[in-house]
Amino acid sequence: MCGIAGILYKDTVAKADIGKALINMLDGCQHRGPDSTGFALYHDAVPGQYRLRFIVDEGEDVRAAIDKIKHKLAEFQAQVIDEEVIGAGFRLDIRFEGDLHKLAYEMEHAAKLSSIGESLDVIKDIGSAHDVDDVYRVAKFQGTHGIGHVRLATESDVAPEASHPFWATGFADIAIVHNGQITNYYKMRRRLEKRGYFFNTDNDSELIAVYLADKLKNGSSLKDALKNTIADMDGTFSFLVSTKDEIGYAKDRLAAKPMVKYEDDNIIAIASEEVSLNKLFPGRALNTSEPAPGTYETWQRSISA
Amino acid sequence: MATIDLSVVPVREANELIRKYGADGVDVEVLNPDARHHIGVGLTHPIKVTVRGSAGYFCAGLCDGPTFEVERNVGWGLADNMLNGTVIVNGNASAIAGVAIRGAEIIVRGNVGSRAGQVMKEGTLLAAGNANFMAGYMMYGGRLIILGDSGAQLGQDMTGGEIFVAGKINDLGTDAMVTDLPGNELDDIMAFLDKHEIAFNGTFQKVVNAGKKLKYDRSEPRVRVIPFFEASGDNDYWNAKVQEDIHIKAQIGRYRIRGYGTSRALPHLSDLAFRRDLSTIPADPDVVSKVNMKTEIGGRSGANPIKLSMPVMIAPMSYGALSKSAKLAMAIASRLSDISENTGEGGMSNEQREEASQLIYQCLAGRLGWNIHDMQRANGLEIYISQGAKPGLGGQLMAKKVTPEIAKIRGIPAGIDLRSPSRHPDVLGADDLVIKVEEFREATGYRTPVSVKLGAGRVRDDIKIAYKDGFDFVELDGMQGSTGAAGNEVLEYVGIPTLAAIQEAMDALKEVGGDKDMPIVLMGGIKDGADAAKAIALGAKAIAVGTSAIIAGGCIACLQCHVGQCVVGIATQDPEHEKRYNIQAEALNTHRYLESMRWQLAAIAHAHGYDDIHDMSRDDLVALTPEAAEITGLPYEPGYRDRDAGLRQAS
Repeated sequence: MCGIAGILYKDTVAKADIGKALINMLDGCQHRGPDSTGFALYHDAVPGQYRLRFIVDEGEDVRAAIDKIKHKLAEFQAQVIDEEVIGAGFRLDIRFEGDLHKLAYEMEHAAKLSSIGESLDVIKDIGSAHDVDDVYRVAKFQGTHGIGHVRLATESDVAPEASHPFWATGFADIAIVHNGQITNYYKMRRRLEKRGYFFNTDNDSELIAVYLADKLKNGSSLKDALKNTIADMDGTFSFLVSTKDEIGYAKDRLAAKPMVKYEDDNIIAIASEEVSLNKLFPGRALNTSEPAPGTYETWQRSISA
Repeated sequence: MATIDLSVVPVREANELIRKYGADGVDVEVLNPDARHHIGVGLTHPIKVTVRGSAGYFCAGLCDGPTFEVERNVGWGLADNMLNGTVIVNGNASAIAGVAIRGAEIIVRGNVGSRAGQVMKEGTLLAAGNANFMAGYMMYGGRLIILGDSGAQLGQDMTGGEIFVAGKINDLGTDAMVTDLPGNELDDIMAFLDKHEIAFNGTFQKVVNAGKKLKYDRSEPRVRVIPFFEASGDNDYWNAKVQEDIHIKAQIGRYRIRGYGTSRALPHLSDLAFRRDLSTIPADPDVVSKVNMKTEIGGRSGANPIKLSMPVMIAPMSYGALSKSAKLAMAIASRLSDISENTGEGGMSNEQREEASQLIYQCLAGRLGWNIHDMQRANGLEIYISQGAKPGLGGQLMAKKVTPEIAKIRGIPAGIDLRSPSRHPDVLGADDLVIKVEEFREATGYRTPVSVKLGAGRVRDDIKIAYKDGFDFVELDGMQGSTGAAGNEVLEYVGIPTLAAIQEAMDALKEVGGDKDMPIVLMGGIKDGADAAKAIALGAKAIAVGTSAIIAGGCIACLQCHVGQCVVGIATQDPEHEKRYNIQAEALNTHRYLESMRWQLAAIAHAHGYDDIHDMSRDDLVALTPEAAEITGLPYEPGYRDRDAGLRQAS
């Protein structure tokens, strides 16, 4: 039960204030979810260089967790460039040239991995958009596009790892944020677990990320994967997905969860409520539209320009 | 004209200003709205409000009389429940535009989102553009005009009213059909379009209710009455009631409906005992004056709390399920005992308002009888999510009880088997609910407590949501609670026992640190002061009585509440039957019953050495059965059973 927001700058400029824009948008709909806030932020990739984010619990021995992570990375001959313990998380920048799926699988089993990406950085924790910014300096982030989420925990815990965005496990640079409830969660989860997928939480939104990962692994385009989601998932949902160079949405057939979009020559912005879009353009009456029930769409950055 | 700039004035303050300008007859212009929610909510004066930009959720919600013009778009719930007035939106409206309107003219020049006109009762909603999914969903009356195309399932489960579509109809919903359009109705529409200067050159298809689902096709046969005490025997198998169920199903071919709650033996408050042996405490005739029983509920967010002389309320029961006379007796009894009465579903009557000194006004998904004026004269508001006897389902009021008067108050067609919706149009999750709660607060100037009634189902999750959504208190209803009508199997097997409900609720509140903060009013099979004291010891701030209050007021527990021929005049709308009910006498009976509860509560607290009923705690209780011990976590002390048996004999 939540609020979601996403923004993509269409042109090639890689230095937009993505962090600030998403903080503003999420602040606009914070009433929909006061428990936790999260961001999936994208910048231009340096090939072969990855950022990893882990949740390291307060209660557990943080040092031991970090040692375990680094030990695993060494096994994979990943070279650590930079590292930082921040808030409830641990950030690592590495250089790596092996099998990323394999690395991701091993890292997931070694610690609470919240993202891997050449372009992607997932920052999430309990508290409001401004609380999370205070700790993680989200406002400083410049990049190309991003999605974000405010959460009101209903059935699963209030914890950093249960916060959104969720990373599409095994797939670098893919993240989702979701508002709603997947009612065939256990059935779908069991199917994916049988195929070897790993779930970090009991949050139904994580299912969407893993489901998309599975479709992409089998050669689906993102668009086709979104189309399948609408057919396969029961319940009420509006979610956003982002990759290295695109964002997209899917909306359930019952249209039970809100979504409004604004598009002009420079940007596409989507949010649960228009009040978030207006945060980007104070004092302006915007030409917005609502995606229809049971629809999906993606937008790509015009990299060729 | 006055100007309010929302980039500097918060919406709450702005709405107070708008209401003040309304009282003075001054029009208002709102600048920099930036799609903020609740603009203009609760305005009851005929002024004009111009919104220079886009508005968010519930723009012009809960209003009577004003004219609104919004320059661009609006969010969910445009003109929610508006009684009279005009709203013009020059852009698009999001989901449930014109939800539950009871009059008024709502014009959207762009498109309308899903479920436009859901549960509307009267008035006109016009979309000059297209309408999305399920327009006219469960509408009861009024006129929905769509100049563009309509999305899937148009008119789904509509029971009344008319839908006119000029463009393409994607498909029709259940129980909707296309019918002929009489010339005079087309003239009326064209006049309406002219009045609002909307150019249109075309014609319409008219959609109305198809009449297939308004009543059950076979009614239940009259049966010999098996009273509750007989129906709830020890034998769950082929007892008289089970046989009767089977006979009836053999005739009607569907589930049967009955009144009252579960007849199964379930773990309950009577499976707990007080640790203190009360039989050794000498009787004190003056005990009521020695224990503080005053209870305030509903001040969590700064609203005026409901003030009770003891931690007891009358549970919500509707005028509709009950006769007006029975509702009046409850109101009088509540005043005499200085506690609160509750409207239940289906609206507030003037007589009830006058008799009850503290009145909670219940808002259900169908918004039956809901309106801003009664909201503003209530002492508390209650958003009904569900009921202990039938969690997850809407109410049922069979045709016999849907008289013209009841239909008028509720804004529905008379003589239908009313099956109230089970979901609120604007509450599809905890995130929407928080915006709904805020709308109610805006409409009542933040003075009136807003509570939620939860039928015990997934109590732990629900209570946490209620806490996070800022409710002032929760009315928690276990499965031993009764109802005027529900499917028998639902009553017997669906809910969660009251004892388990309060335990889960308190555990959940402790987990989120809200156990001192958000009071729980427990209901569902509470029959006397001992039950009430145990509920309070387990953590409830107060309890509510429904069934026991009407039994005190003459109910014979025959389980036939749904039929409408109640022999004592309680659960009926038939004047001949209602005549048998003596309002004053039954009000006094109920009052005396409530006073017995007061005495018992005081005596039990006093016997424990407390001078305040709220000093009772879990430490004062033990469990008499393994089940009750498992549910509550109280120590299992079967030895106390013999002691209590002796006590019952002695008294």
